[in-house]
Amino acid sequence: MDMEKIKPYLPWITLITLVLLVGIANPSFFNPAGMVGLVADIVPLFIMALGMTFAIYIGGIDLSVQQMANLVTVVATVFLAPLGMGVAVVCIVVGFGFGALSGYITTRLFVPSFVSTLAMGFVALSGAKYLSGERALSMDATLRDESFGWMFATTAGIPNELIIAGLLLFLAWFLQRRTTFGRALKAVGSGELAAVASGLNVDRIKILAFAISGMFAAIAGLMFSVKLSGGDANLANGFLLLAIVAVLVGGTPLTGGVGGVINTLIGTLIVVVIRSAMVYLEIDATQQQMVFGVVLIAAIALTIDRSKLRGIVK
Amino acid sequence: MYELRAVDKTFPGVHALKAVDFKVNRGEIVGLVGENGAGKSTLMKVIYGAYQPDGGNITIDGTTVRFQNPRQAMDHGIGMVFQEQSLILNLTVMENIFLGYEQQFVSFGVINWKKMADAARHQLKKVKLDIDPSTITSELSFAQRQLVELAKVLTLEERVDGDLVILLDEPTSVLAKEEVELLFSLVRELTNRASFIFVSHRMDEVLDLSDRIYVMKDGEVVDVVNHDEAKVEAIQHKMVGRDVDKEYYREQKQLPYGDEVVVSFDNVSMGRSFKDISFDLRRGEVLCLVGTEGSGREAILRTVFGLDTPTTGTVSIKGKQVTKFTAQNGVSSGIGYIPRERKIEGIVAGMSVYENMTLSQMGNYSTGGVLRTGEEKALARDWIDRLAIKTPDVYKDCGGLSGGNQQKVVLAKWRSGGSDIILLDHPTRGLDIGAKEDVYEMVREMSADGAGIILVADTLEEAIGLSHTILVLKDGEFQKRFDGSPGDKPSLFDLVHYMI
Repeated sequence: MDMEKIKPYLPWITLITLVLLVGIANPSFFNPAGMVGLVADIVPLFIMALGMTFAIYIGGIDLSVQQMANLVTVVATVFLAPLGMGVAVVCIVVGFGFGALSGYITTRLFVPSFVSTLAMGFVALSGAKYLSGERALSMDATLRDESFGWMFATTAGIPNELIIAGLLLFLAWFLQRRTTFGRALKAVGSGELAAVASGLNVDRIKILAFAISGMFAAIAGLMFSVKLSGGDANLANGFLLLAIVAVLVGGTPLTGGVGGVINTLIGTLIVVVIRSAMVYLEIDATQQQMVFGVVLIAAIALTIDRSKLRGIVK
Repeated sequence: MYELRAVDKTFPGVHALKAVDFKVNRGEIVGLVGENGAGKSTLMKVIYGAYQPDGGNITIDGTTVRFQNPRQAMDHGIGMVFQEQSLILNLTVMENIFLGYEQQFVSFGVINWKKMADAARHQLKKVKLDIDPSTITSELSFAQRQLVELAKVLTLEERVDGDLVILLDEPTSVLAKEEVELLFSLVRELTNRASFIFVSHRMDEVLDLSDRIYVMKDGEVVDVVNHDEAKVEAIQHKMVGRDVDKEYYREQKQLPYGDEVVVSFDNVSMGRSFKDISFDLRRGEVLCLVGTEGSGREAILRTVFGLDTPTTGTVSIKGKQVTKFTAQNGVSSGIGYIPRERKIEGIVAGMSVYENMTLSQMGNYSTGGVLRTGEEKALARDWIDRLAIKTPDVYKDCGGLSGGNQQKVVLAKWRSGGSDIILLDHPTRGLDIGAKEDVYEMVREMSADGAGIILVADTLEEAIGLSHTILVLKDGEFQKRFDGSPGDKPSLFDLVHYMI
């Protein structure tokens, strides 16, 4: 069999194999209520990974997402009282703005995205620390339920969280597959020089990709903060690795151009299954990161497009 | 002593070397000349071990050798002085000279720098370069670096039993006239240490320095001339060879061009690439920029398109002076660019045929940013028919098409978007004859449609056959303009004369 032909189906094969393995070992895994709970749990991570997909799809990366989410948990908690539901808008604007700034630094100042976003992440982190006074803040329970209680209700038996995730997935999918912006993203990810020579405004496209990544990270942070009813500069720690794993295991390689948001859905589900397997096997949370680290390396080695690297990896 | 017999080399679609015989005697300086694409570089690469020939054999003093890589060739005394210098600029001169061969100076795992410096001094003496071996290479002038490069190759003398053959690839291209003379007298003196193969675009230099000259054309050695019998003109005729076939270039379809100026350059210069270039391109005109590699042709194309910003001068597109040089502005003023690196800049591999065709004009196929994919596919089907593009369907990954069909997709992209200034950079490079003729046909059609075309052709025949106007460039400067109406075209010789 030709490896190149299997590659696009690899994430699906991995997901189904894992589900079957886990299901055989632990039949209670197939319990619908348990499954919905498992999936709902991971919604903030999924949203973050969705945004990250845009950065990776153009051949970049966004390492600031976790700190972005941290900052937003604090922003949401601090400004919930004066703004109510309007705090969501502030969070989204902050995320979009930070992302756009990372994009600007990357394209105009020629700082590679892994450094520009890493640096912006620290800026966000220190913003979060400053704003929170380095304390864990909590939301006023009544206010929280008034403004965002609906997030955790259900509609026709489906948790609203999942519906939000579904809507955002549709939005991301629509952007990627149906719009000129999505087409331009693909061109930048697959062949940036040809995109330039076709007259596309490549810088603007890249800046927008990072802005979307930041915006989705902010939405993830907001949901997480509402879920835990508080904010703190370390609340979302541990998300970054999982978000990158979700995108790459899903089949969007670091070299960009292929894969996309549907792949990230598969990738996130793979992450969920691996995590629940580890819980079942009683692997301690600290050791889980080790497993995901290994999975990440394996996913990159399998998906990266060697022809684009021209033999140079630094 | 060093001899190639009936050496053959084929790349997909190109027969680069056809049964080439080549010989270098002890202490001899052999010149190698030919047009771009004649096979000079392939021959050089075979000689210094970067390519392995498909047929024929290589002997040194009668013994057959086969090199897997340049290092093996070096171990047999074959050294290369690269045109684009191979020195690492932030290392010292001595580190560069012994790069990869430091082991001889190592004792107990530590490099003995003093020993290396002494050895380097010995090498530098050979090329009469009086500098401190611990100088950082970037502090040297170009000419000095060239000599260090030569000294580096001459270390082979101590490492190898037997004779040396040293290849000099365009060694004079960055040197001033006096420096060239110094280099030449040095090379002549060094013939007691090594033989030389000298490759240059500058015919007078080749004639001056070489004992014998090999003339290549289309992958063959067409003549070997001794120093005393060599005449510039005779060699140039041999280099360009056959007459141009009028039919082949669709010359009967060449129409007179219009009056409206679409691109105008007024004393435009850009850095070291080109200087004081002026021309007007009119509707329906095919204007060809002719010159050797590095003469500034490509840089001019890129400037017209907006990829590069000129340092001085005025560029006007359709009567409007260009103030901001970006590719977006180029595209929106109706310029289409068909780049030389088709697979990298022309098409996006990984995207389908229809996605590639609308990439430069997505605005025409979308409403509020949402693509009207049905129309895109209809457009693609239409142009697949019009240009007879061989693809199973519009969804096919463009990277999987043949070179000729990829080129048609790129042309369709610009033509379907209404571009009427077309920049062609080596549009037929790597294409087979049938695909080339398709491209010529398209050039004629576009010109008949009133598009202004600037062409950097793959061969001189192509330039003459296709163009109304030829501008000859040399080292970034304008040399001569030729007007070529059908039946009254300049000869190859006319052009070569001004190019080198």
